[in-house]
Amino acid sequence: MIDNAIITARNLSYRYRNEDPRPILDGIDLDITAGDYLLITGRSGSGKSTLCRIFNGLIPHFYGGVLEGDVFVDGLPIRQTSVAALFDRVAMAFQNPDTQLFCRSVEQEIVFGLESLGIERRAIEARLASAIEAVGIGALRQRAPQDLSGGEKHLVLIAALLALRPRVLVLDEPFANLDPGNVRRIRGLLRELHAGGCGIVVCEHRLSRAVPDATRMVVIHQGCIAADGDPHQILAHPDDTWGLEPPLATRLGAALGLNPLPRTIEDLRPISPRTDLIDGLSPPLPPKMVQPGLPPVLAVNHLSSRAAARAPLLKDIHLTLHPGECLAIVGSNGAGKTTLLRHLLGLQRPDKGSIRIDGHEIGKMPVSDVAKTVGLAFQNPDNQFFRFTVEQEIRVGPEAIGHLDAEWIAELMTLFQLTPYRSKAPYRLSGGEKKRVAFASALAARPKVLALDEPTAGQDFDFRRNLRTFLQRLQTRGQAIIIVTHDLTFAERTAGRWLLMAEGRLLADGRPDAIMADPALMSRAGLEATDRFLLKQWWQTGDHHA
Amino acid sequence: MLDPRTKLLLALACGTLVALTRKQGWLLGEWAVLVIAIVAMGQLKAYLRWLIMLIPMTLFFGGITWWTADRITGQAAALGLMAITTVFFVFFASIEPEDLGNSLVQSGLPFPVAFVMTAALQFVPVVSRKARAVVEAQQARGIVLKPGWRSLRNYPALLVPLLIQAFQTAESLAEAMEARGFGRSGRSFRKAYRMGGLDWLVIAGGWGLVVVLILYGVR
Repeated sequence: MIDNAIITARNLSYRYRNEDPRPILDGIDLDITAGDYLLITGRSGSGKSTLCRIFNGLIPHFYGGVLEGDVFVDGLPIRQTSVAALFDRVAMAFQNPDTQLFCRSVEQEIVFGLESLGIERRAIEARLASAIEAVGIGALRQRAPQDLSGGEKHLVLIAALLALRPRVLVLDEPFANLDPGNVRRIRGLLRELHAGGCGIVVCEHRLSRAVPDATRMVVIHQGCIAADGDPHQILAHPDDTWGLEPPLATRLGAALGLNPLPRTIEDLRPISPRTDLIDGLSPPLPPKMVQPGLPPVLAVNHLSSRAAARAPLLKDIHLTLHPGECLAIVGSNGAGKTTLLRHLLGLQRPDKGSIRIDGHEIGKMPVSDVAKTVGLAFQNPDNQFFRFTVEQEIRVGPEAIGHLDAEWIAELMTLFQLTPYRSKAPYRLSGGEKKRVAFASALAARPKVLALDEPTAGQDFDFRRNLRTFLQRLQTRGQAIIIVTHDLTFAERTAGRWLLMAEGRLLADGRPDAIMADPALMSRAGLEATDRFLLKQWWQTGDHHA
Repeated sequence: MLDPRTKLLLALACGTLVALTRKQGWLLGEWAVLVIAIVAMGQLKAYLRWLIMLIPMTLFFGGITWWTADRITGQAAALGLMAITTVFFVFFASIEPEDLGNSLVQSGLPFPVAFVMTAALQFVPVVSRKARAVVEAQQARGIVLKPGWRSLRNYPALLVPLLIQAFQTAESLAEAMEARGFGRSGRSFRKAYRMGGLDWLVIAGGWGLVVVLILYGVR
């Protein structure tokens, strides 16, 4: 055991139920100190979140299950120590902030944990003030947490945990669903906390956001620790079975034989240009698959919409989409991307302008009629599942609108690799499998336009890679696709055309490289160009010595 | 400013008065006083929105009473329901649930009981947002979920995901609360709640007036 370890696990194994055939965690040995900025990564379902829940005693006290081996937090054995006695030593934030903010104001949210600690009033006020100042959320003090944006909710949650003055802060996928501006803000905050002596543990799939700051990385594979050490050394030669996508800087550094390995692409900027390498490591932009001469399948003409409850404005949106075209709508949180999608389906109606799909003006057409031509998969697939099997779930949409084609349903099951799950209950599937069922459902009525809202949020590398393949197959069949995302790395590989939005307005419509080449435009949209684009630009323009 | 417990006791006094009022003129008068209070609090818009939901239930309740008793009793039942729910509309518009819960804890109510009470109030808008998201997700697949007999057979498409997610949300909420020390004993409070002289005066005056009205007027 390391002397200054705050969390120690020895030969740790865990099963959620006694009858589970194999443990979700198996033979884990781990020491975490206050000096660690630890990144825990691995495929979806590898056991990362389960491990985090052991650190603050939620497992076994809240979840039950069978825990074997020894785990100590600050020297206290977790089996004999309640969560209430551990929560201020190891503070934890889960993936979805919506279900963790339960008070009526931001202040109350921060104060809740302090009141649990039983500390006196003056100390509560002092800690409240210092947490709010550290996180920079003074303007939000009296706001209802439920009304905040995704990024603001994460910040409030971190402030609530920070006020407890924990020795280790554990964050499960803190960057999922956040735009680059909020990711940058939270990363900066975590770096400051780490420099101030607080141990940081981050579980994350998207390595490029977490690796540059981490001092240590643990890879969990099939419930076991597959690697533990310096992130860059591990990622220079990762095992293919781990399902990881090392950041571009690490991949290039390894290919160039650099030592030490670069932490970010900034570290690669001074070296001699190697455009051949970067093109080889990052696939080129997807080709346009539009057949010439075909009329647009979607035409939005000067669409404007006043603010509905909590929805941003849309101002003079104009776009067309052709069969076989894949369009990514990109922008920061609250730019109006999802609002635009809702208008395409008739869930919100415009004040001005028109939408024509396959030549028909949707006007005041009922949503159920528009659903015959636009298939929309929302971010949370759990909102739609109500049938007993995957196959029934996929058939339900076309049955409702009298448009069932059994052969097409079978084809979709094959395309989205759902055939083995056809008789399984949708709620029993993993997050990625549920998403695939939702995509197949959206396509089940053979819509002219397929629209996906944040399809990669919280998904691992395997899922993102497979989704890209699915979408390219659909494109070759002439399917028009719209993706709403702030995952620009995915968008640049998947969509040949981007629509850049900010504050409900259309800032640009064009090829990803052309849009990213305009830093003022990107900055106005609150986005950052991808690593691949930036490095290529530096190397191509000779701007690599800056 | 009155203590939340004073407001609770006043609301109970008003509720008792309305519940024991039999004369329709008195019921209308009590309701009118409450509406004046709502206007003074600047809550008229919210009250009208809430009335739209309440009126069908009131008509149903009044209709059933009329059918089983007589017209006068039916009218009184409908008016009584309207007035008594308005009492509690005024009460909830005048307090923060957390203030009420914390003040009751300081009076000896166990914290978990008070928290369940306030959390239940906060759970209503969460479920309502979920319901909206489910309806939209189903509409996007062509499943009609509008009020009416024609879409009645589609209601499992709303109820199943909503029910499952309500349980999931409750579970996640419980886990998050546990992770922030909900179960720890020796809780302190940022705000102290003390019943002052004005509170006791208002309680005594309010209940006194109610007793007088019950004895000499409203029945």
